[in-house]
Amino acid sequence: MMDHMEYILNILPFILSGLKLTAKIYVATLVIALPLGLLAAIGKVSGSQFIKKVLFLYTWIWRGTPLLLQLFFMFYGLPVIGIRLSPFAAATITYALNYGAYLTEIFRGGIESIDKGQYEAAKALGMSYAQTMRRIIIPQTVRRVLPTTCSEAVNLVKDTALLAVLGMPDLLRIATQIFTRDFNITPFVVAFVLYLIISSVLVKLFGKLEKMYSIYE
Amino acid sequence: MTMMIRMYIHKYFGSLHVLKGVSLEVTKGEIVAIIGPSGSGKSTLLRCMNQLERIDQGFIEIEGIVVEAAGDIDVKITATSQEVRATYRKMGMVFQSFNLFPHMTALGNVMEAPISVNKVTKAAAVQIAEKQLAKVGLLDKKDAFPSKLSGGQKQRVAIARALAMNPDIMLFDEPTSALDPELVGEVLSVIKKLAQEHMTMLIVTHEMGFAKEIADRVIFMDEGEILEDSVPKEFFENPRHPRIKTFLEKML
Repeated sequence: MMDHMEYILNILPFILSGLKLTAKIYVATLVIALPLGLLAAIGKVSGSQFIKKVLFLYTWIWRGTPLLLQLFFMFYGLPVIGIRLSPFAAATITYALNYGAYLTEIFRGGIESIDKGQYEAAKALGMSYAQTMRRIIIPQTVRRVLPTTCSEAVNLVKDTALLAVLGMPDLLRIATQIFTRDFNITPFVVAFVLYLIISSVLVKLFGKLEKMYSIYE
Repeated sequence: MTMMIRMYIHKYFGSLHVLKGVSLEVTKGEIVAIIGPSGSGKSTLLRCMNQLERIDQGFIEIEGIVVEAAGDIDVKITATSQEVRATYRKMGMVFQSFNLFPHMTALGNVMEAPISVNKVTKAAAVQIAEKQLAKVGLLDKKDAFPSKLSGGQKQRVAIARALAMNPDIMLFDEPTSALDPELVGEVLSVIKKLAQEHMTMLIVTHEMGFAKEIADRVIFMDEGEILEDSVPKEFFENPRHPRIKTFLEKML
């Protein structure tokens, strides 16, 4: 038992270094994907025909193909045509565009679920379309899409594990390396627990957010 | 007498001709009740006036300024788009379904347009909003969210919200139709209060007693046309059109 604890404490620094990369890419992805999804959703609802077409292509392609294939394309495809990105940039861009596409559709559905009487009341008060979106529609949309956004945020934690396939030293990759080195299953258990903790913290966090936004219900 | 509203409107929904050249003039301080069977175009008429529906032919003039002109007509919009917007702002509207902003308190609902449209300071908006909420008798509910208010209270907040923009004209689109019978009175008494202040009002309503009591003119619409436009006494006691007689008999 003592040996076991000592082993875990031994490998933990390595695993946590993997967790750090996972966390970095995770946060960077959300920082880009959330505003991207919101803007693209507004574009889909109220943009010109041209913007709507471009956004249709965007969500169609990024939601309609496997994330792993998208990552392969960014990592191995782009260099072929002369574009070289750092692994971190390539990964972040791919995750952000992929999750941005899903969030676009989630936010669009949210915006479209707001009663049209809200637009009419705002218009009758003399508010511009932009004011109506910013002050009336989007705040209500945020409340409605929180639960779905939460499950996307949890999905992203698990999807970052694909980085291991690309050879990036993320949480899973490091755990795998230790497993191969020591032929011991413990690093996987540690990774398992860490993923579970992160997901649970996220769910808690979103639950708090939901409660905060629910005061008016 | 100052002319507040002049209009002539044709409106189609697809191939359905919902307003068949409706002409209407309203002078300052006048209270016009618009009644008629559902589907007669009453609400559409009101919604056209506030640009919630676009007219297909005709014009709308508010306080001497043409704000809308469409189709084959001699009237032209001469005002700048800024003037047109400012003119629309002189009209407040109250909806059948209240349409309060659910994520804002009663006070927040009333403050919103003064802040975002009229650019008043927050402190000034609070003052305006409290004054209007007091007027509709709901100052004690200022911190309540709409979900915690009864239908009648919601509608009174909606009226306060419209009044906060200091309108010259108020449009009421069936303001009591979504209310339980026992809540109708409180909303009507707020509207009566506005009548005593000589607010120009157009009220689409099914409350015949109310129309009779408050209106200077009663307009009866049927199938997109105005069938009668007369003073309440004459309208209710001696309707000219047989269709009005049948309608009134059904309502009473």
